[in-house]
Amino acid sequence: MHEVGIAHSVIEAVQAEAAARVGSVPVKVMVRVGAFAGVDPDALAFGFEALTAGTEWGNLKLEIERAAGDELDLIYVELEEP
Amino acid sequence: MNRVPLEKKVLSENDRIAAELRARFRANGVLCLNLISSPGAGKTSLLERTLQGFSRDARVAVLTGDIQTDNDARRLARFGFPTRQITTGGACHLDASMIERAAEGWRLEDLDLLFIENVGNLVCPASYDLGEAAKVVVLSVTEGEEKPLKYPATFRKSALLLLNKIDLLPYVSFDLARARQNALEVHPGMDIVELSCTTGEGLDEWRGWMSNQRSLLAAAVG
Repeated sequence: MHEVGIAHSVIEAVQAEAAARVGSVPVKVMVRVGAFAGVDPDALAFGFEALTAGTEWGNLKLEIERAAGDELDLIYVELEEP
Repeated sequence: MNRVPLEKKVLSENDRIAAELRARFRANGVLCLNLISSPGAGKTSLLERTLQGFSRDARVAVLTGDIQTDNDARRLARFGFPTRQITTGGACHLDASMIERAAEGWRLEDLDLLFIENVGNLVCPASYDLGEAAKVVVLSVTEGEEKPLKYPATFRKSALLLLNKIDLLPYVSFDLARARQNALEVHPGMDIVELSCTTGEGLDEWRGWMSNQRSLLAAAVG
């Protein structure tokens, strides 16, 4: 149930990256979630959707790569740049 | 399309604060223990029995987290040690910045031991490093022995499992051997202590474990 908070941290990281690249539009962010991270990937996807839908981040897609350990990592963000 | 590698932890800001706290605890020789369990497993009772066992001049402090109410802090403050309540107002776990704020003004050099009682929850607290030396998970025999398998992250990240309420074993179908086996399956080598806050059984072993952790901390700091 803390996945919304985790989703918020992911969005903040993407926002920071976008702000550092003027005019860029982030379209995809990849997160790695380990089986022992204590984070449910489906709940994370749901929280992410809930936070971004209908906002200026509505087109930002979250991809989750599953892993075996306790990873909870930001892997990359894809941005469209002018 | 530009793909920018990030390669950092989602909770990197929390981890940064936790690392700072850990460094401060270590520099001041404070053993910080983060107590985690489901609601009702007996964290507060355990702390009551533990605090009761210390002499009045013991250098101990407690931070206790709950979503609402300061009941726990009031229960624990009776023993005369510095105690503060963290009310998360909805959040299901404590994070490092809450610890940083709550401990503000405490002189760490005056402490040997800091207990953090996390919000009752076996899932979310596992994700948040609080700067503790060790996580301690409390599992009571009125719960199921499958808990370690169902909540592997918490059991895997905890150095010690306290099997609590063993005085109730005659009345419940809890399989102690099975619980131990399940815990060791997700966390091989994990320390396990069986205890009862009602009869006091196992409390000496728990105190022994803490004093051993303190020695390890002192040796690591050199």
